Amino acid sequence: MKKIALNINGEEYVVDINEDMRLIDLLRDKLHFTGTKEGCGEGECGACTVIMDGETVNSCMVLAFQAEGREIITIEGVGNGEALHPIQKAFLEEGAVQCGFCIPGMVLSAKALLDKKPAPTRNEIREGISGNLCRCTGYNKIVDAIDKASKYLKEEGETK
Amino acid sequence: MKKRGIGYASTFYGTGYGNGFPDISRAIAELGTDGNIYIYVGATEVGQGAKTILSQIAAEALGVDFSSIVFICEDTSITPDAGTAAASRQTYNTGNAIKLASEKLRNEIINILEKRYGISTENIEDYLLQVAKLNGDEALRMDGIFTASTTEMDAETGQGNPYYPYTFSVYGIEVEVDTTTGIVEVTKAVCGQDVGRAINPKLIEGQIDGGFSMGLGYGIMEDINLQSGRIKHDRFTSYLIPTALDMPDIDKIIIEEPEATGPYGAKGIGEPVLVAVAPAILNAIYNAVGVRMKEIPVTPERLLKALKVKERGV
Repeated sequence: MKKIALNINGEEYVVDINEDMRLIDLLRDKLHFTGTKEGCGEGECGACTVIMDGETVNSCMVLAFQAEGREIITIEGVGNGEALHPIQKAFLEEGAVQCGFCIPGMVLSAKALLDKKPAPTRNEIREGISGNLCRCTGYNKIVDAIDKASKYLKEEGETK
Repeated sequence: MKKRGIGYASTFYGTGYGNGFPDISRAIAELGTDGNIYIYVGATEVGQGAKTILSQIAAEALGVDFSSIVFICEDTSITPDAGTAAASRQTYNTGNAIKLASEKLRNEIINILEKRYGISTENIEDYLLQVAKLNGDEALRMDGIFTASTTEMDAETGQGNPYYPYTFSVYGIEVEVDTTTGIVEVTKAVCGQDVGRAINPKLIEGQIDGGFSMGLGYGIMEDINLQSGRIKHDRFTSYLIPTALDMPDIDKIIIEEPEATGPYGAKGIGEPVLVAVAPAILNAIYNAVGVRMKEIPVTPERLLKALKVKERGV
């Protein structure tokens, strides 16, 4: 057993973990952030994507102890439970969600991209979500949604 | 060297189980004691948009706002069997069952308003609670049953009427073939899809994008690699499916030619949007490099081999 401290969605957590525990298991099983989905469990599908210190990671490929002292954002940290985040709003409006299993990871990849690059080209958007597999949507409506979200975020920035 | 080519393929596809297999959808439309309209149906929502489309059909048939429909599906203990979410059959088959049930309920509500209150109206929305209260604790329920037209084909001649209706579609696809690596990139695509009537155009576009990516994977990437009955490519590291970078933007043309037997003219399109993709890609490869590929997926290895064979003139 090992005790680690980490920040998840802006809150500090101190938790006991096994040394071989994966980050996804810490998030889902121990802390109940079940918005993070496990797909393949081997870093190929991106369903378990979370943001760690500003970079997307597959939480199935990161061990929990590696998150010590880090800042993690999960899908629960996007939007506030009441109001939708502009990315989520754009996903709904564009019909970017079908079965939904890949969507938490998609939204987080979109957020990490837009945080770094507020006005990406369509090809940069495609690159930004290329680590997230989707079997339903064919990606195009997701690309449309991220493009729209970038405009929403720009407008939000202007009004502030 | 990179070579470009364009290919087309079209398909007509019979929706429903077909070949005489019983294809029945059932639905219940109910005016609840709380004045809400409830639709009960066993149809399964798997992300394709059945809940949305079937609620739209109910709202249209009842003449009430979309938001007044409480749609209850999938729970087999309280919903009637509407068949599987398969065979591209929910919009057409179950849509028809819901339309029938909703029309019956609407007529009953109009009758009650006329007989009990002397109100003659086509606009039932404002009177729903009033009518609901008349029945006390009992909800007003109407069922709708739709049976698709299908006959078994003659085993000898292949004749018969296995499916009804048919959906038509055509794809035009541009590819770029790298003759050094054998990699095929799909650079442009246009889809013309007959839908009967577009109940929800945005959902149709989503189905076209999704079907395209499955067809693209089927045509040039996805290989389960069966060896002695075992699937060797049993994970995403070896079984490759398209990513966002593999997909082109698709120019979509929705063709509305209402089908007389469909709910408001609509037909199913879930599978039809996928069928013609792979053949159109293979035709485009032929157009680009002159080799006629007859085995899918057209992986780089297979294409390079075919290009070598062509070079040697064997």
